[in-house]
Amino acid sequence: MGRAAADSSSSSIDSSNHPSLSCASSVSLPNWSNSTRDLSTDLRLGLSISPNHDFSSTSTPREQRLHWPPIKPHLRSTLAGKADKRRQASLFIKVYMEGIPIGRKLDLLAHEGYDGLISTLGHMFRTTILCPDVNRIHPEKYHVLTYEDKEGDWMMVGDVPWEMFLTTVKRMKIARGDRC
Amino acid sequence: MAYSFPEEVLEHVFSFISSDKDRNAISLVCKSWYEIERWCRRKIFVGNCYAVSPRLVVRRFPEVRCVELKGKPHFADFSLVPDGWGGYVLPWIEAMAEAYPGLEELRMKRMVVTDEGLEMIAKSFKHFRVLVLSSCEGFSTDGLAAIAANCRDLRELDLRESDVDDLSGHWLSHFPENCTSLVSLNIACLGNEVSFSALERLVGQCPNLRTLRLNRTVPLDRLPNLLRHAPQLVELGTGAYSAELRPDVFSNLAGAFSTCKELKSLSGFWDVVPAYIPAIYPICSGLTSLNLSYATIQSPDLIKLISQCQSLQRLWVLDYIEDSGLHALATSCKDLQELRVFPSEPFGAEPNVSLTEQGLVAVSEGCPKLQSVLYFCRQMSNAALVAIARNRPNMTCFRLCIIEPQSPDYRTLQPLDVGFGAIVEHCKDLQRLSLSGLLTDRVFEYIGTHAKKLEMLSVAFAGESDLGLHHMLSGCESLRKLEIRDCPFGDKALLANAAKLETMRSLWMSSCSVTFGACKLLGQKLPRLNVEVIDERGPPDSRPDSCPVERLYIYRTVAGPRVDTPDFVWTMDEDSALSLS
Repeated sequence: MGRAAADSSSSSIDSSNHPSLSCASSVSLPNWSNSTRDLSTDLRLGLSISPNHDFSSTSTPREQRLHWPPIKPHLRSTLAGKADKRRQASLFIKVYMEGIPIGRKLDLLAHEGYDGLISTLGHMFRTTILCPDVNRIHPEKYHVLTYEDKEGDWMMVGDVPWEMFLTTVKRMKIARGDRC
Repeated sequence: MAYSFPEEVLEHVFSFISSDKDRNAISLVCKSWYEIERWCRRKIFVGNCYAVSPRLVVRRFPEVRCVELKGKPHFADFSLVPDGWGGYVLPWIEAMAEAYPGLEELRMKRMVVTDEGLEMIAKSFKHFRVLVLSSCEGFSTDGLAAIAANCRDLRELDLRESDVDDLSGHWLSHFPENCTSLVSLNIACLGNEVSFSALERLVGQCPNLRTLRLNRTVPLDRLPNLLRHAPQLVELGTGAYSAELRPDVFSNLAGAFSTCKELKSLSGFWDVVPAYIPAIYPICSGLTSLNLSYATIQSPDLIKLISQCQSLQRLWVLDYIEDSGLHALATSCKDLQELRVFPSEPFGAEPNVSLTEQGLVAVSEGCPKLQSVLYFCRQMSNAALVAIARNRPNMTCFRLCIIEPQSPDYRTLQPLDVGFGAIVEHCKDLQRLSLSGLLTDRVFEYIGTHAKKLEMLSVAFAGESDLGLHHMLSGCESLRKLEIRDCPFGDKALLANAAKLETMRSLWMSSCSVTFGACKLLGQKLPRLNVEVIDERGPPDSRPDSCPVERLYIYRTVAGPRVDTPDFVWTMDEDSALSLS
């Protein structure tokens, strides 16, 4: 933290007393600015800057690397989001089944694709869920999986690629097959 | 003699002079030129909103049409300025609403802009045309809705890098049904979906739209339709550049791009699916600017893309480009002027890509017009920096960030003093420099000796003693902005060069060794400077004078201490300095 940095560097202050309090008088600098005005002369009184001033405060590695490297927030957050995705963050969404008032939550990113999702939901709700392209015989005995997308439309699960589905799904509903 | 001309003639002559610097020079010639010039100044730039008060500005320049204002220090971009520090634009808007009813253009950077401010803009300026909010914050889409609804002549709305409280995507539908005036719309920073129907309507009915930068929520399948409605686009920022791979989607997109013959600049490409990149090939030969800093494209695909873009002048890209891609760039893009390479995994300990100093050396060799560089990498050598300096003496901006602070020359383990010394020695026109890596006071001696045109200098984790700071302040004649973090620079160099500070716009120092006592002294001795101590540990006078301050921001001002300081900012004015003696 900045605080720690300020504290850690305070050790260097002892050797560089406040100029107005310092009694040193030599100015040991090459090409010392002589264009400065009276004011600066005033401030410079008793000033000594020498190259061998306290090395120890910098040669010790500082642990505070806060806000480093310097990257603007928008890029920083985009990069952070990308890293999260790679680390397999979770994407929990709610699932409801027609006729059952209590919903369940499920992590979509724990699944590789539609097959895994449908089998998990089948176990969760103890029912058989059909993929939309499966030939439907006796639809009333089965359920189909629908989802609400970002635009608020209800869609049949399985029509778009899995990755695209992950980016648009808001919640899911298991509906009776004869109603779809 | 010039001053015998009638006022009208002089005014007419002055009207041909647009640069702020020349205008300022004119106003210093004599009293009558000052008077004539101030009445015909239409455009003002205020590099620090606390350097002058709005009241003074409107009094001196009564007929201004275009205003550009900057607020927070540059280091705010990297979160080094605490939230709530300041940079509020409302007092400016209030003053201008009264004084400049004819205001047409307002550009702001790093300012806090409230919805109230935006609503006041929308109500007050009848002929308002241009609103640029660059890295601004504090406002929401409600404020933008007010702008959209009321500014009938709005040509440009640019929210670049701003942090907008994104309440609703419907703000876009507040543009009137018959809005045809837009020339530039940049909403890339918005997080939420915008209303697509409003967007499509706007794009379709603004025949002069040249710049359109969409946000990440605009899906790729919407892009072809937008492009077909705006074949005149010059600058395009795509939204998310991903879709299921289907030949018809691809050919639709490629077809739409190929109708945009004027396209010169592309950005966006969030979530990119590289297989869709070839859709832009038809227009690549005309591109001069390509911002791929949000695009995760690996080197082979980047190489294919860049080799199509032979007119490229500016490339921003992630380090996925690797050395191999930069070699390809050096071969293909002979007009390249600006290169920025950002780290894809800035916080990882180990390199995830093969990007070294060699890539930059290759570009400096192959691209003779290269003059601006921002380069993040994990290793550097003095030899490489010397080669770059020799290859590109025309460099004006050189910003190097070696990700691990205080990294030495990885081959010799020596400091990088000689390398950066070569940069300042050979690049005589260098205006902006950012240092990184292991650096002793010697590099600052080189900088002070050679960097005579340097205007902005950023330093982090460098130097050994006050001597470093002294060299910069005493040697760099043209220095206007100096920002320093985590360096052992303290009172002596600062006080010895105090008068220099009055010639500069600002000095920022955080986590350095400047004491509270020195800050008080500066504030006392230099009334034309605002010396701000920014300390979140509580009042600095509760600690000994010899205690270093957390952050110090010094800037010249003709307005005196500001009145809107939060409780962690103290301005060292004469009163506070009294306790010193």
